[in-house]
Amino acid sequence: MTATQLAFFVLAVASTASALGVIIFKNAVHCALSLILTFLFLALFYLQLGALFIAIVQVLIYAGAIMVLFLFVVTMLASETDETELRDHIPWQRWVASILGVVLVGVLSYLLFTGTPVGGSAVTTGANSLSHVVNTQGNTQAFGLALFHGFAFPFEVTSLLIVVAILGAMVLGRKA
Amino acid sequence: MMPLSAYLIMSAILFSIGVVGVLIRRNPLIIFMSIELMLNAVNLSFVAVSSKLDSADGQMFVFLVLTVAAAEVVVGLGIIVSIFRTRRNIDVDEMNTLRG
Repeated sequence: MTATQLAFFVLAVASTASALGVIIFKNAVHCALSLILTFLFLALFYLQLGALFIAIVQVLIYAGAIMVLFLFVVTMLASETDETELRDHIPWQRWVASILGVVLVGVLSYLLFTGTPVGGSAVTTGANSLSHVVNTQGNTQAFGLALFHGFAFPFEVTSLLIVVAILGAMVLGRKA
Repeated sequence: MMPLSAYLIMSAILFSIGVVGVLIRRNPLIIFMSIELMLNAVNLSFVAVSSKLDSADGQMFVFLVLTVAAAEVVVGLGIIVSIFRTRRNIDVDEMNTLRG
């Protein structure tokens, strides 16, 4: 077993365990911390795949900014969040949902193995390929070139989305 | 280099854990965390396919998903906080009316 494979399996077990922690822990703060751990493991996966910029953004935006927002709200509603777990109206829901989750993993894996394999002529080659641009100009430069050459319009629409989200948060947050 | 299917199966496992989390938890905050987990599982498969196809397009999608996730969390947490303000109770099973 090579070092890459060993790293993958350690990361796979660790991220599955921390993701299970998100849905198993009773205390919402523990769930949030477990989710931060999952995001950090995913950032390591991205590093392994050579996506340096995405890995850094994952740590800064997801594990940093978004989860801080989550923890603010969790601590704000802390008195309420423990009590709500006790009232379970449908007792069999948990078991059925877990079985359906296992079925979902099985079906997705089956589809992955029976579907058309990715690759062949779809792989980008030559001067446009990601590895070529990364080697000649650098990782973040490759990301920026792809973003502003092929995805300039979606990038601009994203700013509209953020404005709408800010306005929505202000409307929801003001004193009624 | 690991085969692409290993990353895709990892992504499927994380996605299914997120689905189960949405189904079994009663706390809307944890349901939100499970949705974030599902978004991240999809991001992992985007990055894996991007690396396999040697193209930056998959990373662009991850970038856009990240922005959408941030906007979604801001609005969603705002809604949860305002529901808590009016009802003093955030059990999702109780949220069956749109009246305040």
